[in-house]
Amino acid sequence: MRNRSIVRAGLAGILAVIVVGSSTAATGKFGQSQKAGVLRMSIGAEPPSLDAGLATDTTSSSILFNLMDPLIRLGPGPALKPLPGAAASWKVKGATVTLNLRKNVRWWNGKPTTAQDYVYSWLRTLSSALGADYAYQFFGVKGAEAYNSCAGGKDAKGNACDEAALRNAVGIKALNKWTLRITLTSPQPWFIQQLSHTSFLPVYKPAVDQYGNKFTEAGNFMGNGPFKLASWKHDASLALTKNTKWRNAGSVKLKRIEMQIITDGTTAENAFDAGNIDLNTTGVPPSDIPKYKKLAGGSRNGALGPAGKAIQIDPALGTYYYGFNVKNISDVNQRRAMAFAIDRKAIAKYITQTGQVPAKGFTPGGIAGGPTIDKNSFMPASHQTSKAQDFMSKVANPKKDIKLYINNSPAHIKIATAIQAFWKGIGITASIKIQEWKQYLQFLGPPPNSDVDVYRLGWIYDFPDAYNGLVLWTCDSGNNNTNWCNKKYDSLINQATKTPDFDKRVLLYQKAESILTGANGDLPIMPIYWYTFVVYVHKNVHGFLTAPTSQYDFTKVSVS
Amino acid sequence: MLKFIVRRVVWTVPVILLVILMTFVMMRQIKGNPFQVTERAVPPSIQRNLDRKYHLDKPWYIQYAYYVKGVATFDLGPSLVQRNQTVNDVIKEHFPVSLKLGLFAMIWAVLLGIPLGVFSALKQNSIFDYAAMGFVNSGYALPNFLISTLLIYFFAVKWRGVTGFPTNGFEGWHAWILPALALGHAPMTVFARIVRGSMLETLQQDYIRTAKAKGLRWRRVVGVHVLRNSMIPAVTAAAPLLGFLIAGSFIVEFIFGIPGIGRYFVNSITGRDYSVTMGITVMLSVIIIVANLVVDVLYGYLDPRTRDARA
Repeated sequence: MRNRSIVRAGLAGILAVIVVGSSTAATGKFGQSQKAGVLRMSIGAEPPSLDAGLATDTTSSSILFNLMDPLIRLGPGPALKPLPGAAASWKVKGATVTLNLRKNVRWWNGKPTTAQDYVYSWLRTLSSALGADYAYQFFGVKGAEAYNSCAGGKDAKGNACDEAALRNAVGIKALNKWTLRITLTSPQPWFIQQLSHTSFLPVYKPAVDQYGNKFTEAGNFMGNGPFKLASWKHDASLALTKNTKWRNAGSVKLKRIEMQIITDGTTAENAFDAGNIDLNTTGVPPSDIPKYKKLAGGSRNGALGPAGKAIQIDPALGTYYYGFNVKNISDVNQRRAMAFAIDRKAIAKYITQTGQVPAKGFTPGGIAGGPTIDKNSFMPASHQTSKAQDFMSKVANPKKDIKLYINNSPAHIKIATAIQAFWKGIGITASIKIQEWKQYLQFLGPPPNSDVDVYRLGWIYDFPDAYNGLVLWTCDSGNNNTNWCNKKYDSLINQATKTPDFDKRVLLYQKAESILTGANGDLPIMPIYWYTFVVYVHKNVHGFLTAPTSQYDFTKVSVS
Repeated sequence: MLKFIVRRVVWTVPVILLVILMTFVMMRQIKGNPFQVTERAVPPSIQRNLDRKYHLDKPWYIQYAYYVKGVATFDLGPSLVQRNQTVNDVIKEHFPVSLKLGLFAMIWAVLLGIPLGVFSALKQNSIFDYAAMGFVNSGYALPNFLISTLLIYFFAVKWRGVTGFPTNGFEGWHAWILPALALGHAPMTVFARIVRGSMLETLQQDYIRTAKAKGLRWRRVVGVHVLRNSMIPAVTAAAPLLGFLIAGSFIVEFIFGIPGIGRYFVNSITGRDYSVTMGITVMLSVIIIVANLVVDVLYGYLDPRTRDARA
C-alpha cells in the first residue's frame, strides 16, 4: 500500500511539472505562417551583448543598428559614403570633428538624444572599469588610450595616473545640447565613416543607472531607433516592433521582426524549407548550397527560383588569407611560388561556392578605391604552375616540408587540403595541423609559435577604408602574425592617417599594397579570396541587403 | 536512515570542493583567451582592464578562493562572454528548459521501456520478444543526431501538413515531442534491456516457484513478487540516466534549437567562459550527487536488506 502511494505522489509531481512548464512555454508564441509586415528570420547566434559599449560581433551590431539611430549611416557600396543619421551635418577641420545633431532624434520615452548622451556613453566605453573590448575604436581620439589604460591608479607601465584628470582630458566634448566636438590624434580621414560603427552608438544613462548590467534586457532597454525591443528570450528568440514615433517612421514598412536564434545550418535549412522562417541568415551546410543555387537559377543578388526561394549573395569587405612566418619561409621567391601555385578560382567555385572573389591583393576590390589600390598586386586567379616552378628554381635553400596551421572548421580543412595538393605540384609537402579556435589564436601570437610556417586567417573590415586592413601589417600590429616588419610600409600607412584627400590616400595605399602583394613585393601573406555574405530569402521578402560592413537595415525591408 | 542521509550530505562538501579544483585546473590548462573572440587582437591595455575586472590578474589560489566563496554564497560570478549575464542568470534561464526536456524524455523512456522489457521477458523467445528486442537493439545502435535528423525530416518537414510539428524551438507543447523522443530513445532501450534481463533472472528464483506452488494467481505473482524484485537494477540505472537527461543534451538541444543548459555548457568550454563552465559543472555535480542519494534511499524501500546493512 505504501509503495502505491509513493508512486501516485511521484506521478502527480511529474504531471504538475508538465502542466506548469507547458503553460509558461505557451506565451509569446511565434507565428508559424507568413503575415504581411512581419519578417520571420533566423540569426546564427545569441547576441553576446546589446550594450553598444560591449558589443563586438556582427549579430549584436545588426540588431543594435535597428534599435538605434546611428550618427552616421553609410550609403550604397562600394563608395559607402557617410550619410546623415542622428547627426544632421558635420565639419572636419584638421584633427577636429564637429557634429551637429538632429533635434528630433528621441529616445523611445520621448526624451531627446543630446550631445551629452554621446559624451557619457563614449567615456563609459573608455573607462577601464567597464572593460570594453572595443574601447580601441576610440583610440584615434586624443587622450582616449591614456584614460582607458589607467586602471586602479596605475597605467599600463605601472606608473601612477589620475583617472579623473585623464577622463577630463579626452577629446570628446559637448559644446552645447546639439553640438559634439571630437579632437583626434591625427586627421584620420575615415573617422566620419568609422562613426557608423556600433561602438559609437549611445546608451541611455537613466537605464544604465537603474538596471546596471541588466539594462540590455527587453523592458529595460532604451533605444532611439526605428524598432523597439519587444522581447528577448536568451538563446531562443528576439522580437522587434516598429517604433511609430521614430523621426522617419513613415518610411518603415515592417511592423514586427521575429528572430529565432538557430545556430545549426541544418536546423535553419529545415525551418526555411518548412516555411517557418522567411529569411535564413544562419546558413546551410555546404553540401546543400547547390540545391539553393538551382532554385535561384544560379544568379546573384536575390534572383528567385521556381520554388520562390533564393540564395542571396552580397559582397563583403573582408579577405580570407594565408600568412607566412617569414622567419621560417625566408626566401621571397618561395613565397611567390607558393602563392602562384594556388588556384583561387577553383577554391571559390568548388569549395566555398557562394560567389567569393579570387583575391588579387589583400585590399578587397569592393572597398572604395579598391581596384586602384590593387593595381600592382599580382595574385593569380588560376594557378600558374610553370611560373611557380620558375620562382621555386630561384630559391637557394627551399623549405620543402612545411607545416600549415589552420583552425578546426570543415571549410578551412577542405581549402587547406586543396592547397596542399596545389603545392605538391611545385615539390612542397605540406602537413596540415588543425587546432581548436582559441588555442589557435594563442598559438599564432604575435609572434607566432616557431612551428608555424603558414597559417590561415581572415579579416572583416570594421570601417570601409583600406586603412583598416592595411594597418594589420605594420610592425607593431597585434594582428601581424608573420614576423614581417618593413619600415617603409609603416611610414606609408602612417602618412595615410594624415592625408584627408581621398585620391592621394588611395595612391599611398597602392604603394603599401604593392609592398605586400605587388610583383616586387615581400609577400608576407597571400590572399586567397574576398568574402561574400550569403543569406537564403523567400520571395515575399523585399529590399533585404547585407551591407558590406555586415549590418542589416530593416527600415528598407518589406514583407508581402 | 536519517543518519545515513546526513552523512551523505556532509560528504558532498569535499566532493564539490574537489570538483571545483579539478575543473579550475583543467580550464586553465587549455590555452586560449576568453576575451579574444575573433581574430582581432585585444590590445594589451584592454586585456589588462579585462583581467582586472574578472580577477584573472590574481594568482590562481586567490582566484580559487574567490570562486569557492562565491559558490558558498550561491553567486557563481559573471559570464566572461555573455557580457550582460551572470552564471546564475544562465542557470536560472536555461536549466529549467533542460530539466523539462529531460523529464519528458525520461517519462517516455519509462512508459515504453519498462513494459517492453516486462512483456519480452514474460513471452521469452516469442515473436513479440524477438521483435521488441530487435527494435530495442537496433534503436540502441542509432545515435541521437541521426534519430533527431530523421524525426525532423519526416515529421516536421515532409509530413508537416499532417503533424504540424515545428522544426525547432520550444514554443508550445507540440515543439517538445520530437526532441523528447530523440533524447529519450537511448534510455528507453536501456530500460527495456535491463528490465527484461532482471525479470528473466527473477523468474528463475525459488520464491517464485514457491509462490506458484502455493497457488497464487500468476498475475499476482508477477505483479507483487517478480516486478518489485526486478526493478532494482532499473532504479540503479535510472539515477545516472536521469542525471544525464536533465543535465542537457548538447546534440539534441543543438539540432532542435532548444535553449537548454547543455548547449551553454559546451559553448562555454570552446569560448573559455571559465565561470560558466565552472558554474554548470558544480550544478551538475550536485544533481548527480542528489540523484544517487535518492536512489540509495529508494533502494531501502525496494530492498529492505540494504536498509539493514546501512543502519
